[in-house]
Amino acid sequence: MPAERAVIRKTLAHFTGATGSRLDGLTARVFVDFAMCFSDLVSTNREPSERLASYVVGTEGVERLSGLTGGLISLTAHVGNWELAGRLLAGQSARPTHVVVAPEEARELERWVRRDGEGVRFVTRSRPTVSLELVAALRRGEVVAVQADRALGTRGDTMISFFGRPAPFPLGPFLLASAVGVPLVPAFCLLTADYRYLVKVAEPLTVRRGDEEDAARAWAALLEDVVREHPTQWFNFFDIWDPFNG
Amino acid sequence: METEKVLEEIKDIMVERLKFDPSRTSELTLATVLPKGMEGSLGLDSLDFIEMSIAIEERFGFVIDETEDVETHFESLGALVAYITLHTAGR
Repeated sequence: MPAERAVIRKTLAHFTGATGSRLDGLTARVFVDFAMCFSDLVSTNREPSERLASYVVGTEGVERLSGLTGGLISLTAHVGNWELAGRLLAGQSARPTHVVVAPEEARELERWVRRDGEGVRFVTRSRPTVSLELVAALRRGEVVAVQADRALGTRGDTMISFFGRPAPFPLGPFLLASAVGVPLVPAFCLLTADYRYLVKVAEPLTVRRGDEEDAARAWAALLEDVVREHPTQWFNFFDIWDPFNG
Repeated sequence: METEKVLEEIKDIMVERLKFDPSRTSELTLATVLPKGMEGSLGLDSLDFIEMSIAIEERFGFVIDETEDVETHFESLGALVAYITLHTAGR
């Protein structure tokens, strides 16, 4: 995967300031961490949610979910084992969770990584009217989970400073939140040194009509903090600042 | 509410909320297909459909019934007009 390796190396150099052998080590570590999370995705994620909890060594901020009774958008990124977080939080909230995903490029992977059940349902972003389904789900008080660290290359992207340089981020989750009037809850599932997981839930974001870009900037700043702290657990194999070239 | 009146209201929503070029509204007919990716469609994307559904509720004063197969009502202007007309009958 030379192209992906080159992108990861370039990105890490910018995030961390690392060079030489330290940068080589960090680059290799991204692939090790990705392999660990991906193998967990196809194995532990197929277990019931009560068993999944045994893979989690700690949680931070999960109590923030207790006061949220209506629909909400769980906002995450390609950091750590994001799907494990989604399944755990779905089990905890006892509400159906609709996970919005892009059509899988490798279709044969779908049955391994996208398994409906245990309150989780995958919604493929294959047609524009799928957003109506998401509006309805939020109004029923259900959860919509989206990854908001990958631009779509459409008018729905907005440029936001990320590590000091403008990068396109998707605005859709923030527009959906403001249209329906639900909060966005940022959540991450991070791999620990002993290959267990730490679930972090950040302060919910409330978005008023017209303030969607501000909310997206707050999200990007939060993602920056997480990536700064865990640079080898952001599995973004694209150039974040210029994802549609090359 | 009459079909023609509903169609005009939808055109207004497209201009005001979806920032649709007003000069193009004359091209819109009941046969116009809405979702991006369908042959001959107007090219509305997922953000357009969120905005449009909220705007329809505000303008026509009813809540879109989530238990129905809502997506089919947004496939063409004709389907959408029929859906709105049904929900505003007698006004």
